Amino acid sequence: MISFERFTLDNGLRVIFHKDATTPMVVVNTLYDVGARDESEDKTGFAHLFEHLMFGGSINIPEFDTPLQMAGGENNAFTSNDITNYYDVLPSKNIETGLWLESDRMLSLAFTPKSLEVQRSVVIEEFKQRYLNQPYGDVWLELRPLVYKEHPYKWATIGKEISHIEDATMEDVKSFFKKHYNPSNAILCIAGNIELEEVKSLTNKWYGDIPGGQKPVRNLPIEPKQLEFREKTIERKVPVDAFYYAFRMVPRRNQDYLTVDVLSDALGRDKSSRLYLSLKKDQNLVSNIGAYITGSIDEGLLVISGKLNNGVSFEDLDAALWKELSALTTELVPTNELERLKIKIQTSKEFNDQGLLNRAMNLSMHELLGGAEKINEESEIYQKITPEDIQRIARETLNKTNCSLLKVKADNAE
Amino acid sequence: MPNRILQPELVAIDSIDFVAPKQHVLSDTTSLYHMKDVPNETSRFDLYFDAGVCRGQKGIPSFVNGLLLSGTKDKTSNELQSEINSLGGFLDSGISIENSVVTVYCLREHLPAIFKTVVHAIQGVTFDKNEVQEYLVDRRQSLKISQEKVGYLAQQRFREKLFASSQSYSYTLSVSDIDAVTIGELRDFHKKHYLNGLNKVVVVGDISDEVITEIKDAVTPIIVSSQEDFTDKITNEPGKFEQEKEGAVQSAVRLGRTLFNKNHDDYLDFLILNTILGDYFGSRLMTNIREDKGYTYGIGSMIAELNGTGYFLIATEVGSDVKDATLKEIQIETERLQSELVSEDELELVRNYMLGQLLKSADGPYAMTDLFLSAEIHGKSLKFYNQALASIRDITPERIQELAKKYLKWDDFSIVAVG
Repeated sequence: MISFERFTLDNGLRVIFHKDATTPMVVVNTLYDVGARDESEDKTGFAHLFEHLMFGGSINIPEFDTPLQMAGGENNAFTSNDITNYYDVLPSKNIETGLWLESDRMLSLAFTPKSLEVQRSVVIEEFKQRYLNQPYGDVWLELRPLVYKEHPYKWATIGKEISHIEDATMEDVKSFFKKHYNPSNAILCIAGNIELEEVKSLTNKWYGDIPGGQKPVRNLPIEPKQLEFREKTIERKVPVDAFYYAFRMVPRRNQDYLTVDVLSDALGRDKSSRLYLSLKKDQNLVSNIGAYITGSIDEGLLVISGKLNNGVSFEDLDAALWKELSALTTELVPTNELERLKIKIQTSKEFNDQGLLNRAMNLSMHELLGGAEKINEESEIYQKITPEDIQRIARETLNKTNCSLLKVKADNAE
Repeated sequence: MPNRILQPELVAIDSIDFVAPKQHVLSDTTSLYHMKDVPNETSRFDLYFDAGVCRGQKGIPSFVNGLLLSGTKDKTSNELQSEINSLGGFLDSGISIENSVVTVYCLREHLPAIFKTVVHAIQGVTFDKNEVQEYLVDRRQSLKISQEKVGYLAQQRFREKLFASSQSYSYTLSVSDIDAVTIGELRDFHKKHYLNGLNKVVVVGDISDEVITEIKDAVTPIIVSSQEDFTDKITNEPGKFEQEKEGAVQSAVRLGRTLFNKNHDDYLDFLILNTILGDYFGSRLMTNIREDKGYTYGIGSMIAELNGTGYFLIATEVGSDVKDATLKEIQIETERLQSELVSEDELELVRNYMLGQLLKSADGPYAMTDLFLSAEIHGKSLKFYNQALASIRDITPERIQELAKKYLKWDDFSIVAVG
């Protein structure tokens, strides 16, 4: 059970406070309700480029990192297709430095043209390092547009192509800030060994005078229901053939979301999962195989991916895989199997909740999804999932017409 | 209206509570460390074996490590995995140059049962022909994938140059060694280094003394009888070594030299020099090569420790067209530390940052255990970290310069670039 308090400042900033009396550190976590899905199609990669610029100085503070390091703290941030999340971890005695820095960059950014130039290059190097210069690194750049035809999930957080980042102008970036970075579009979570009254007075002091702004209205195109099996083969200079089966699934706020999570665990979480035992251990078709969900707020994906053993064809794999998938739609998952999946989920939740930063980030995410209290409801929802639920969701999800398959063919296979 | 121009007043970190796990001596060579004070249901155990890469040849130590759960005469690998997974355990095994570690994370109520399963699995592994075959095929495949990564290639090449004076330390895995290994070799290594190889047990979690006693009894038969020494004499081969990788859009750079570990008098002060140069976001390397030039997504430096020695490393991946320019800037930064004194402002920043990070690395039972272990391996107690606090407070610009002159000479480095 993770306890917390919640209050909202007059300007609309939502604040979550989580007390942990055992730690000398404090976390200041700021979630902005903006991600790559909020970009326009001809200017992708902006939310992420912007995240980099958030460290280039704000209206009253020339540079973000130095004062935080001076306070003994460190920070980082990440951008996803859904959100942008910034965190600072510092000795709790110095919490005010964290609030001073974060509130100033919520108030107004002041990065220089040089900062834009440099971060543009840094992001391009990141693009190369993560997506272009790794075997299988560009898979998601290919898979997204295969699955999504309308919804902005069709491009990756890093951007659709490097040219969008190269072409970003100062004006583009400024209007992005104006639209998305304001108190009414943010959730602040403070976690550590302090008192609620202090949190209230400090947040009022540092954030109270920031103009509330308008929460942007999100009006994203709806991805039409997929009606046909899709398949794409790409040839790459990789040593081994790889496959990615992507099934459309319910959005994050749907009541069946966690059931799909359990379904993906049954398929491929660990070395006791169905696909591992059947396709690897029994039939020796693959060298590795796994299944997971993307965790997206809008309709996300259940993905099954792995690599073929030498001499095995994509067709061999396909036949064996669909046989396993259809077993889940025709037969109920045995109770002991479901118990195994649940205890694994419970164990990872306990470990996840161990870290102060994780708790702060999860509370912020749940607050965005509909209420931080939901963080304490998940375990019970998981526990109540039945074999019948899993079968129903398997029937809805694991259909050929709901599936997009990306095959990466090794063009120098032995 | 708050004053937004001035940074709020800072409070200095004056002391840190370091808490040691309880030591249970199992033999002359081996102890069990138990960190009991965990305020939740989580737990972890680690089994350390004197079975690192340096103890064998041709990849054998690594294969044995990877096959520890591959089945006994009573249980198949699937059955072993099922026993662990059904109790919610997450098992992880890893090997480094000098040791092999098996770690399990689980809820504390299931720790005793999972511990038994894992110890029996390790003791009774039969190296079943089919399992070995399957494992080696997988290793071959993953090695080929790794060999497509400039970072992996540079790391391997760097190791060859860093440990140039010792064949068992500089070994890098090859496809031909995977093809050549025999089951007999695996069994021999297992017998020598696992059945008589356990040299440390760590338990974190609110576990009863009765269970700790059971754990001690369970591991008694496999405790190492006499601990072999580790080398303390390693010298790197200085020079610049470049390798082409067709089609690469980035080059991986690794450069460094053999150095020392916590047992050397210069260690703590060098750690501060290392932080200034490349171990935090505001470091000289990050500020120059990422934040000023935009050559890279990241660059960092570190000290890696071995039982008898250690080494210093700078690592980055940069656009292929700016590889030489990056090396030039790294050289400028290492030389600047030798020719100019660090300013008091910068030193103050690094002091505060390091104190905050030390506070963080002692936060919570898991972090505290790891902090303890990293001193224990060098025969140090937690007093070592109080010395670290003192060293951070007392360091002077002159001392930084002295160490830079001594240890950051460009001509002493092995420099590897692949791309």
